[in-house]
Amino acid sequence: MKETLSFLGQRALILHRAGETTNRLVRQCVLLGLRAEARWRPLRAVEDVDIVLVDADEGWDGLLPWTPAEKPAPLVALLASEAPGRIAWALDQGADALIAKPVSASAVYPALVMATRRHAEARQLNERIARLEERVRLRPLVHAAVRTLMAANGCDENEAYGRLRREAMQTRLTLEQAAVSMLASPRRQAG
Amino acid sequence: MTSLRLGILFSTSGDYGVLGRDCRDGAMIAIEELRGACSVSIEPVFRDPAGSSERYIQLARQILQEDGCRHVIGAVTSQARKDVIPVVEKHDALLWYVCPYEGFEANPNVIYTGACPNQHLLPLFEHMLPVYGRRVYLAGANYIWGWEMNRLAREIVTEAGGEIVGERCLPIGDTDVERIVSEVAARRPDFILSNMLGPSNHTFLRAMRDLGRRDPAFHPERCPVVSCDLTECELPEIGFDVADGQLAAASYFDSLDSAANRALKAQVAARFGSERRASSYFATSYATVRLCVEAVTRCGTDDPIKVRSALAGLETPGPLGPLRIDPATNHADLPFLLGRISGPDFVILQSRPAAVADPYLIRRRSVAQPHSAQPQLRVVS
Repeated sequence: MKETLSFLGQRALILHRAGETTNRLVRQCVLLGLRAEARWRPLRAVEDVDIVLVDADEGWDGLLPWTPAEKPAPLVALLASEAPGRIAWALDQGADALIAKPVSASAVYPALVMATRRHAEARQLNERIARLEERVRLRPLVHAAVRTLMAANGCDENEAYGRLRREAMQTRLTLEQAAVSMLASPRRQAG
Repeated sequence: MTSLRLGILFSTSGDYGVLGRDCRDGAMIAIEELRGACSVSIEPVFRDPAGSSERYIQLARQILQEDGCRHVIGAVTSQARKDVIPVVEKHDALLWYVCPYEGFEANPNVIYTGACPNQHLLPLFEHMLPVYGRRVYLAGANYIWGWEMNRLAREIVTEAGGEIVGERCLPIGDTDVERIVSEVAARRPDFILSNMLGPSNHTFLRAMRDLGRRDPAFHPERCPVVSCDLTECELPEIGFDVADGQLAAASYFDSLDSAANRALKAQVAARFGSERRASSYFATSYATVRLCVEAVTRCGTDDPIKVRSALAGLETPGPLGPLRIDPATNHADLPFLLGRISGPDFVILQSRPAAVADPYLIRRRSVAQPHSAQPQLRVVS
C-alpha cells in the first residue's frame, strides 16, 4: 500500500497570470500544507521548488529552465485549450499531470499526488536505464574476462563464468566491474 | 425582512433512509424554532432523492434553478455529496454538509459541519490501540467511506507497530456477513472497526452478539466493534440490547449533559415523543440550519459568497457546543466523544474539546504508543 502523500512544508510555484485560477490554486495548495507562490515570470534554474504548476495555454519555451529529461521537480500543466499544439507543449515540458481550467477545487490534490508519483517513477526509471546502459556498454569486457579465465585455468566457459560471478559477489561488485578489475590485475586470473 | 429559501435534500427513504430522516428532522426542528423568532423568513424546500445519484443531481438542480434556493442543507453519503457539488458550483450556491465523512476535500462551495478523520478516527484509535491492543480487523461498506476509512486505519495501525488481521468490504445493503464473522472468530483481533452502513452493520452486530455468547473472548468488553457513524437513530432498528457495549465516536450524543442539549431534547420529545433520541446527524443538521440562518441574518442577504464570508468570526451556541467554521477549510471545529451503547443511548466514556478540522491530515502525527500519557483526554464518566 502506498502511503498517503503529505505536502506539508513543500514549496509550490504556480506560473500563471494572476486571477481566479491562481486564487483557487493557491487556496487548495495552502490547505495541503504547501507554501504557494503564483507569478508570471520564468522559473530560474537556481530556484528551490518542490512542485511546479504551469499555464500550458500561454506558456512559452524558456518559461521552464530544463528539458523533460533533467526536470528536477514534478510538473502539472494547467490547460483550458484543446489545441493539439498546447497539449504538445505541455508534453514537451515533461508534464506529469494535468488540471483542466476552470480549476475545480477537487482537481488539485489528485493532480499533485499523481505528478509527484509519476515524477518519482520517471526518475527511478531513468536511473535504472542509465545503470543498464552502463552494463551493456561493459558487456564485451565480461566476455574478455571469461576467455582470459578459461585460458589461465584451463577450464570451460561455464566454470570461468562461475568464478567471475563468485569474485563479483565476494567483492560486492557488478559482474562488469569485476571483469574490469580482473582484466586489470593478471594476478587474480588464476586460482 | 430577508427571506431565505432553504433546500433540504436528504435521502429519507432507501437503504440509509434512517440517517436522512434524522438529518431532515433536525433541520425541521431548527426551522420551526426559528420561524418568527428571527428577522429572516425561512421557506424550506424538502426533497427526497431516495439514495439515487441521479435523483440527487436532478433535485439539486431543481432546488437551485426552479425553487430559487441558494443554500442546500443536504447529502448523506460521500457519493451524494460528490454528485451534488458540481451542481452547487455551477450555480455559485452553498452546500451545507452535516455528516461525518472521510476527509480529503475542502470545496469553497461547501460548508462542512460533519466531522472528518482527525475529529473521529484518529482520536478513536488513540484511545483504542493502547487500551485494547494493536491487532485490528477492518470491515467496511464497499464504497468510498469504507475504503478510505479502512485505508487510513491501516496507516495508523501500521505506524503504531500493529497489525491488520483482516479486511473485508460488503456492498451497501448486503447482509452476508458470515465470512467476516468467521474470519473474526478465527483471527481473534483485539477490536473491530466497522465502516459498514445500515442493514449490513445491523446484521453484523447481531452476529457479533451471537459470537460473543458462544465465546466470551468476543464480548464487547474484550473485543468491541467500534465505528464513526453508528448513532442513536439506528439502535431501534438493530434492536435494543443487541449492540450493548459496542463503541462509537461522534461529535454529539443524545446523552450529552448541557443546557443547550436539554433544550434540544425537550423540543425533540415535544415534537416526536419521549422515545425519540437525537443522533449526531440530527443535532448537527439542527445546529447547521441555525448557523446558516444566523449568517444570513448578519448579512441581510442570502448571497452565498457574503454568507460564507460572514461565517468567519461567527460562533453560534448549540448542542454541539459553540459552532465555528474555520475560514481556511470551511470545516467546523468539532468535539470528540466516545460512547458505549446501552439500550437506546450511548454512555459517554470520554470527551475532548472541539478540534480544528484537518481535512487533508497535514498535521497528522503518529498515534500515541501504548501506555503513553494523553493529557488532553478527560474522563467524564
